[in-house]
Formats: sequence, C-alpha cells, structure tokens
Amino acid sequence: MRANFIFSEVWIGLRRNLTMTIAVIVTVAVGMALLGIGLMINSQVSTMTNYWTDKVELSVFLCQKDSAFETCKGKPTLNQTQKTQLQQTIEGLPEVAQVEYEDQKAAYENFKEQPNNKVFLTVIQASDLPDSFRVKLKDPDNSQAVVNALSGQAGIANIVNQREILDTYFGFLGKLQWMALGVAIIMVIAATLLIANTVRLSAYNRRRETGIMRLVGASNLYIQLPFVMEGVIAGLIGGVCAAVLLIITKILIFDGIQSYMAQPLGWDTLAGVITFTMVVGVVICILASFVTLRRYLRV
Amino acid sequence: MIHFDNVTKVYANQNRPALDHVSVDVEKGEFVFLVGPSGSGKSTFLRLVLKEERPNAGTIHVAGKDLSRLSNFKVPHLRRRIGCVFQDFRLLPKKNVYENVAFALEVIGKPRRFIRKVVPEVIELVGLEGKAHRMPEELSGGEQQRVAMARAFVNRPMILLADEPTGNIDPATSIGIMKVLDRINRTGTTVLMATHDAAIVDSMRKRVVELEDGKIVRDQSRGVYGQAY
Repeated sequence: MRANFIFSEVWIGLRRNLTMTIAVIVTVAVGMALLGIGLMINSQVSTMTNYWTDKVELSVFLCQKDSAFETCKGKPTLNQTQKTQLQQTIEGLPEVAQVEYEDQKAAYENFKEQPNNKVFLTVIQASDLPDSFRVKLKDPDNSQAVVNALSGQAGIANIVNQREILDTYFGFLGKLQWMALGVAIIMVIAATLLIANTVRLSAYNRRRETGIMRLVGASNLYIQLPFVMEGVIAGLIGGVCAAVLLIITKILIFDGIQSYMAQPLGWDTLAGVITFTMVVGVVICILASFVTLRRYLRV
Repeated sequence: MIHFDNVTKVYANQNRPALDHVSVDVEKGEFVFLVGPSGSGKSTFLRLVLKEERPNAGTIHVAGKDLSRLSNFKVPHLRRRIGCVFQDFRLLPKKNVYENVAFALEVIGKPRRFIRKVVPEVIELVGLEGKAHRMPEELSGGEQQRVAMARAFVNRPMILLADEPTGNIDPATSIGIMKVLDRINRTGTTVLMATHDAAIVDSMRKRVVELEDGKIVRDQSRGVYGQAY
C-alpha cells in the first residue's frame, strides 16, 4: 500500500468538493462542541454536587426584636435557657448529625467575609442579623422531617434549606446540559448526512479511476481508503475547531461561573472531553463514509 | 482456462435470459472470437468471467477457480489475472501514457522499481515506444487503444478480455490492434475477444463462438464471422 498515492487522492478529493468539505467541517465542529459542552456541564454538576453535599445545612433562624416574620409577631424573643432547650430539642431529632449555634456576632463576621456583601456592610450592623442554629443532617436528602418537626416551635423565624438554593442552580445547569446534548444529536445527524453526500459526490467524480482500479484488481480497501480518509480528515479538522471552541467556552464561561461556585472544572476534565468528542467525530465520519461507499462504490 | 457449464443469467426485471444454458470451454493459450448481434449476450459473458455478475444457474471456472465459491474478498485477486480492453479505451485523461500503464501496477501495490522496469517493456510491446510521455488527448484512437492494451497486459495476466476493441477504430488501424492482440496471445495469454467486426474475424482464422439470444449457435475452430459462407 502506497501512502503517497492515497494522500494525493485524498487531497484531490477534498479540493474538488471544497464547499461540501467546509460544510462537513463546520457541522462536525458545532456538533462536537455542543456535545463537549453537554459533557462539561455534566461533569461540573457532578463534582459540585459531591463538593456541596457534605456542606449543605439547614439554617434555623431565630426571632429577634421587631422581626418581620409572621411567626415572630407579638412574641418575645427566646432567652438563653429557652435557646439551650431548643438546641437540645433539635439535637434530639433522629435525622440530625450536629447542631451549631451562631450568634449575631459570628453571623456578622461570616457576613463580612463574603466578598459580594461589601455594599451591604455600610448599612448593616451585627444587631440586624438574627441568631441561628446551623443544623447538619445525617442524610442531606432527608431534610423535610426536620423542617416538619421544628415548624411548630416557638421562637423560630424561618428555616432555610441550602440544598433548595443549590437545586435551583443545578436544575438550571441540567436543562442547559440537555439542550446542548439535544442540539448536538441533531448536528451529528446533519454531519452524518453531509458526509454521506460528500462521499457520494466524490465517488461520482472519480468513478473513472475507481472503475479502472476495480478492473485491474485493486483491493477493496485500496479503492475505498481515499474516500474514507477524506471523511476522517474533514472530521479531524472539525474536531480541532470543536476543541478550540471548548477551550474558549471553559475560559470565558465555566471559569466565570467558578468564582461563585468554588469547584473548578479542571484542564484534565477538558482534555478528556476533547479526546472523547474527537473520537466520536472521527468514528461518525468513518461509519458514514463506509456505509455510503457500500451503496455508491460497487466492488 | 475458462469453463462455462450450463450457465444461465437472467437480469432483474427481464424475462428473457441474457445467457441461456451456455456451456463453453476455452483452453489455455487459445484465441477466441465471441461474435453475435447486439444483445446476444457477449458482454454478459465477459462480465461473468470477471465476476461482475453472478449466474442464476450453472457453474463458471476461471483459471481453475470455481467463481461461485470465490469470496468477494478474493475477487480482486482473480481480476489481477485477467486483463481488460474496452471499446472506449477508459484511460485517465490527466495521466500520460506511462502513468496510465503504471497506474494498474501502483494500485495493486507493486514496488516502484518493478514498475519502472516493466512499464517501458510493455509500451514497446504495443508499439508506442517514444510516446511514453504523451497525454491521451494527443494520441489517435488506435494509439489510445494500444495504451489500454499495455495497461491490460502489464501485469502479465493469464487471460485478456477484449470487448469490441476495434469498435471505435478505422479498419486500417484495427489491423495494427489485432497484431498486438496476436502478439499478446503468442506469449501464452488466453485472449477472448467480443466483436462485430466481420473482416477481422475472417482474416484471423481463429476459433469463433457465435451467440444469438443468449444461446451458442456455433462453435467453430478456424472459423469466419458469417454463417452463410
């Protein structure tokens, strides 16, 4: 088998079908980039879920003076004994792993540490923030029982489940992921059809050569390889474009999100995603070429 | 070398068979004319030898191999032992004479040193010495057909199939073509030539197999074209 013969045939084929080749490259690039973005979101969501699951807690906020919450209206705030009693009640619940008391001072310190809160710091004082119990659960999925048990208790302003806040965010990412994957599937179908069409045109353009090759007894592989290579090379170029798009997406979008969400999407994950999308792109090109050749290049 | 036993071929969507219970034996080194009107089955016969078509009934042996038992994978190897020449030459217009002939060896993976040695020999055998670097469009019809014959013969096939090789060529030039075919035949290659050309068949005095409506109506050694005389 002569490599230079095959490559010159491939080059001629790609040049003759330039418009189709560009169409294939663009479709493969967009399709594979979307597939990659879907995978990146997926991996981001799962690493963040793991990261946050052991950190989520229930915040049980207590009533304070002039609290705006309905449950606190007209009731006195809890004194120290009552607070201790409430803490014991919470610790007594079977779902609870650990309870920490956060008084107004500690809450204010935590509040100051958040970089996004700088503007509020000018107007907020320690006395504006409520006391709270930070409740760690044995099973983060099982928060409703605790909420139910505490809802009747006097002196509790409200209960915030951090998990619900995260779930909203994860839900949004999940939808984005499915949208990206959905469009990726459509693009993959489009790419397959385009490659099939390109190979068909190529086979038609070179029917004289392939006819002679067949007559003089060239092996099927030798006749088909240039056509398959055309698809593969177009697919590879598309894959490289997709890789560039994915790298840009990581830098501009994912790294931006991470300033809020702590867990970064690593370059190793991105490398894995790029490898995977490239392999998928090239395999699709090979399959589409072979299937088309079986129909249009009789051997 | 070529052995047809009760071969019938019916094309899809056609009622009349293209070949109807045909039995023929062609021995090694023979020169056989296949004659008959258009549609009598000559081309089908040649296509069956190349395994481009499969018979509906009967068995075909080519070069000692039963074609019905030859896997598709091995068909290219069968075709390497058969050279083909056609009425329309089928040269590559963007390659010169040498490259057209070399192409047949390149695509079956022959080493370059071998190609450089045998291609000029074959070009000389068909009488085109000194024209190796001409393009097909610069050649006459007869010369183009010689290139096609060189390409068919360069791999030293056991069988040479010629489908109306003189169909596009004037009678004077045809004689030259037939001389080349005869020369190839003398190297021991079996030649099977389908033709309409009565003058050529009559002048060569070789074996003649005549087909009509898919049946063999005559098989005559040292025959002539028409039955009437």
